[in-house]
Amino acid sequence: MEPLEPLEQLSDQSALPNLNANWVNAKGAWTIHIVLIVALKILWDVIPGVSQETSWTLTNISYMFGSYIMFHWVRGVPFDFNSGAYDNLNMWEQIDDGAQYTPAKKFLLSVPIVLFLLSTHYTHYDLAYFTINFLAVLGVVIPKLPFVRYPHLKNSHRMRVGLFSGVPDD
Amino acid sequence: MRARLSELHPIADMDLNEAQTYISASLHSLFEAFQRVPGSAVLIRYVRSSYQNDPIRSAIELILVIFFVRYLLSPSYPTHGSNYIKLREDEIDELVRDWEPEPLVAERTAFEESEAERIPVVVGPTGPKVKLGNGRTVTNLASYNFYNFNASESIKEKAIQTLRTYGVGPCGPPQFYGTQDVHMQTEADIASFLGTQSAIVYAHAFSTITSVIPCFCKRGDVIVADKMVNYSIRKGLEASRSSIRWFNHNDMADLERVMAKVAEEQAKKKILTRRFIVTEGLFEMVGDCSDLPKLIELKERYKFRLALDETNSFGVLGRNGRGLTEAQNVDAEAVDVIVGSLSGPLCAAGGFCAGSADVVRHQRINALAYTYSAALPAMSAVTASETLNVLQCNPDILIQCRENIRAMRAQLDPRSDWVVCTSDPENPIIILVFKPDVIQTRRLSIEDQERLFSDCVEESLVNGVLITRLKTTPLINSLGPKDTDVNIQPALKVCITSGLSKKEIEKAGTTIRHAITKVMTRKTNRLSGSGS
Repeated sequence: MEPLEPLEQLSDQSALPNLNANWVNAKGAWTIHIVLIVALKILWDVIPGVSQETSWTLTNISYMFGSYIMFHWVRGVPFDFNSGAYDNLNMWEQIDDGAQYTPAKKFLLSVPIVLFLLSTHYTHYDLAYFTINFLAVLGVVIPKLPFVRYPHLKNSHRMRVGLFSGVPDD
Repeated sequence: MRARLSELHPIADMDLNEAQTYISASLHSLFEAFQRVPGSAVLIRYVRSSYQNDPIRSAIELILVIFFVRYLLSPSYPTHGSNYIKLREDEIDELVRDWEPEPLVAERTAFEESEAERIPVVVGPTGPKVKLGNGRTVTNLASYNFYNFNASESIKEKAIQTLRTYGVGPCGPPQFYGTQDVHMQTEADIASFLGTQSAIVYAHAFSTITSVIPCFCKRGDVIVADKMVNYSIRKGLEASRSSIRWFNHNDMADLERVMAKVAEEQAKKKILTRRFIVTEGLFEMVGDCSDLPKLIELKERYKFRLALDETNSFGVLGRNGRGLTEAQNVDAEAVDVIVGSLSGPLCAAGGFCAGSADVVRHQRINALAYTYSAALPAMSAVTASETLNVLQCNPDILIQCRENIRAMRAQLDPRSDWVVCTSDPENPIIILVFKPDVIQTRRLSIEDQERLFSDCVEESLVNGVLITRLKTTPLINSLGPKDTDVNIQPALKVCITSGLSKKEIEKAGTTIRHAITKVMTRKTNRLSGSGS
């Protein structure tokens, strides 16, 4: 549907700074992940009847779910600055203008992996918990991979995994 | 096997043993060294406890960790290749030396040169009769002063009064102290005149539709537009970045085909975008009008919205001049966006957009021409309100103008051997193009036609009637390479006014007809037509 107009697209994208994605490089943007995870853990802990294993697993999957929605599910920007030039890009693709392996992206990939390793450890390597946690971490790690390209998209450096939706067209 | 091997090669056997002890010894020392590293005990405990007799699970975790480490160590790279070439200093200097600036304005062509020389200069106020720079008084059939509100003393008096009270310009955009009570009054007057919920006034008629289209349509949205839409609509379509589908001029079957195709494609891909039909009430380039009831029916059926540019039809069509909606008995609220001009027959300035309250409210902060342009001068807003009031109370003015249109057409369309009229019978802007057989037998190119019409304008001015040509150049220049089927014809433009009597109009019509005939039967033109 979208017209092929790479130059126009790029110039519209650079019309104004992308406030939707640039905050990941701002001060405190990394700490907030840790704070949120701790808050989630406390939240699940205070609910009576939830064991430590379940609490860790819930923390893990709720964080993964939230970050999937935020970074890979929602597309576009909430501001009307770029004439819709970002409409087809999710937040992960917008971060650092689509550059790969940047510090922010490395950090954003480390958080779910470390959280997963922690939760498998604290669920005492129970196979059922492990399976759930592992699937959750795959759900957020695979969409972050840089190297898979769509053959029908020229110069495509991004990958879309449709866990809940189909692969969107460009 | 082993025994036989050692029998044959005792030395090899000894080497193997030695190697084994060496490896185990070195492994042991390595392990001890590792144990001395702080924190290693924790790691060993973690690995031991995590193994849990489950090699597959441990392997998965190991692969994940290896991937993770590899990701952290990868160097970063941008995905957009840089779109410029890196140059050395001396190369830059060379390029700067070699650079010859293009002129800001291109050299004028011979045709433009002669055109500029012929432009008549009006001295004093405009009206049905104007005084030219050379002292002659001619009949003015080249301005949009259809009802001669220019001459109305009461309107003039009101404008002067407003000027004394409010000053000339509001000195600010509408959202930044530019809105005055008279603007709000004009907006309310337009809305009640048209019968829409609400209206918004822009400072410039040309930029109204150019701004309204990108205000509602963004990248990815679909606009279906008539191929003959005017220049400002085309600019708006371009600025919106939407994907544009064209339909043949006023061909409702073709429009339906395009709309059905869009609807089908979107249903298949399961995408939901804004979909607009953009067309004109009276076409500036052709002069005919759209079939509004059919447009409404199609837009309802295929779930599109309709943006109608009434720049040339507002104040012109219908019993009171409410435009195409009144002329074709359509409720103005059925059209989502109506755009019109206050600058033509209304003798004020600026443009407006009328529609539902939501449509208007959205534009107050999102339409660029509204947000970033200084507001309309108060006297123009008041003049617009006044002329609207006159139109509403006094529909006879329109009847008088229409009689004049009929009188003029009677002189031109069936009687002239050279031109036909493509405009609507109620359109006071009479568009005259060459008959197809004239173009064919004389093999007239677009340039030839432009030149001939320019001669016609000059000839009729010599005989005391000021008319003009349809300016097609900006539009033709803005067409892309793909728009080969947009057939914009050069034309003569004769603008009727009710300020002249029927007799005077008939006389002017005869003059124009004779001027055309004279130009077409000139020896040079006959030769150049068939020769080129």
